[in-house]
Amino acid sequence: MFEVLEGGIQTTVQDFPGRVGYLALGTYPAGPMDHFAFRVANLLVGNSQGTAALEVTVGGLKARFHDRRVLAVTGADMHATLNGRPLPLWESVGVESGDQLEMKTVKATGFRAYVAVSGAFDVPDYMGSRATFTVGGFGGFEGRGLKKGDRVPLGRGDGIDRLIGRRLRPSLRPPYASHWEIEAMRGPQADPDYLTPADMQFFFSHAWKVDRNSNRMGVRLESHKWQWARTSGGIAGGHPSNILDNGYAVWTVNVCGDQPIILVADGPSLGGFICNATLIYASTWKVGQLVPGRDTIMFKEVTIEEATQRARDLDATISERSIDRG
Amino acid sequence: MPQASQVNPSVIDTLHAAGERPAVVYRYAGDRFLLLEYGEMVLDLTMNFRIFGLNEAIKRADIDGVIETVPALRSMLIQYDSLRLPTRELVETLKKLEDAIPSVDNLSIPSRRLELPMAFADQWTRSDIERYVKYTRQDAPNVINGHNIEYIASYNGLKDVEEVIQYLCATEWWNACIGFWPGLPFMFPLDPRYAIVTPKYNPTRPWTPEGAVGIGGPCVAIYPVASPGGYQLFGRTIPIFDLQQRNPAFKANPILLKPADRIQWVRVTDDELEAIRARVYDGTYRYKLVEYEVLNVKAYRRFLDSVKDEVAAFQRRQAEAVKHIPIP
Repeated sequence: MFEVLEGGIQTTVQDFPGRVGYLALGTYPAGPMDHFAFRVANLLVGNSQGTAALEVTVGGLKARFHDRRVLAVTGADMHATLNGRPLPLWESVGVESGDQLEMKTVKATGFRAYVAVSGAFDVPDYMGSRATFTVGGFGGFEGRGLKKGDRVPLGRGDGIDRLIGRRLRPSLRPPYASHWEIEAMRGPQADPDYLTPADMQFFFSHAWKVDRNSNRMGVRLESHKWQWARTSGGIAGGHPSNILDNGYAVWTVNVCGDQPIILVADGPSLGGFICNATLIYASTWKVGQLVPGRDTIMFKEVTIEEATQRARDLDATISERSIDRG
Repeated sequence: MPQASQVNPSVIDTLHAAGERPAVVYRYAGDRFLLLEYGEMVLDLTMNFRIFGLNEAIKRADIDGVIETVPALRSMLIQYDSLRLPTRELVETLKKLEDAIPSVDNLSIPSRRLELPMAFADQWTRSDIERYVKYTRQDAPNVINGHNIEYIASYNGLKDVEEVIQYLCATEWWNACIGFWPGLPFMFPLDPRYAIVTPKYNPTRPWTPEGAVGIGGPCVAIYPVASPGGYQLFGRTIPIFDLQQRNPAFKANPILLKPADRIQWVRVTDDELEAIRARVYDGTYRYKLVEYEVLNVKAYRRFLDSVKDEVAAFQRRQAEAVKHIPIP
């Protein structure tokens, strides 16, 4: 059992790839904002990569273990400690009953950390997933972020001794920065029919500031005066960003009037605004580490071939071959 | 090795319109999704019917690598695993399926029929509309006598609230798609003689009760949970989303409605609605849902043809009314 002493800013149980298959019923998949760090955390403690684990946003989580397990913390550096002693990132350690985990707040870069334990955070399966969908208030632990006094059951953790001291090879740990390059593909609604080529050129060359008002639903970027390739949205509405409602791909860039918003884990599944670009699977993890109100993004356009190659490379990286012993 | 970056246009491929089949555009939506669109950006329910025909065809074809489909008004979003199913291969398969879809006239779409009780201009929506006037916009032109329903009447050239209610109950409402919020339906009138329209709130309303029903443009939505909203409200119905699954209707999942459902409003009083809502939550109410019905598109199109003069007459009446009505 995992006893929560302080829940922190926003700590949720997630799994990967989340609640897949319900988009047509209006439900985005939830799941981790940074699937790379999430999956590696599970790999380090010997779980399958999708196993339910914690996403800690900004920091502030304090908890006590009541069982012997293996623990790994990955992602943003929040000065995690175990019983007051610094805890290495991207590395598995053993914990005993009574041990206390404490995470302060993010340092210079990165925004989310992941906490995996051998045997999973054992919350109920809800519509095929254990991921917390913050908008609908379901999944995860009682459909909400963790708070003081919560006692989250842990699944069985076997083979603890051989799982201690596993590290992600240092060369594979992703560098976090305050300026990011994020790979994306043009479309579905871009130039020449909705935006002008110059609009798209601007989109792929500007350093977009991440708005303070960003969360698990949407990561907002600064507003921009687009040229637009048309004067109105016709029957769909007066503004040229309006279209007849259509399904939104997860991790797409939704242009609402003037403002681009990256639709992320808990976003809206359908709506009536264009999406001018869509992040590729291998790069969505970077969004989870963006610091709102400070970081900037440059979108780098890639082809479908490059996107699928990067997907293969990323999946290959999250494997036993990338683990060594400390 | 990835080649030097050479950009993809957003359109992967197109099919020109041929005979009955509308033009089809296949667009990239990243490396895991594809967006398919039919015809022009116009509101045409027959395009939506074709989307459902395609949805059935995709399900039947059981394409390895297709993860899920998201039907909308004239488009379909498809999630797929591009590592197992290359985009080009998926597009070729979808293009072949276009030939396999029967012409819209020969489509029969599985469509459940659901009767939902509706308290028109009820006390709960009234309360949130009054809050809006008090705290958000005192001079909102879309609020008349404390509710939106008189505004809906005047915007459409209908003589009073009774006529709005009569219009809303005179047609079944076709659920073209679900989205935005879990379980939120986007519904359109199957009988265009009663196709009322309204502009949306400006600014949006911070509060809407769960179960409220409103109209924005030509589209009617039920609010699955208490939330902000922009549609003109006309009443309240029973829950269509229940996380706690307190009624057998929510046993399989907490979301009641599906795309291609047809909704019929049945007028009740506030007291009756309150009593039914209590029975929903104690588990004794049975939703009036008929599972095994189909929408026969050919018959429907014959019907559309038979009423087109009346539709045109109502549209003239609406166009005249709009001239004198302020927009929020």
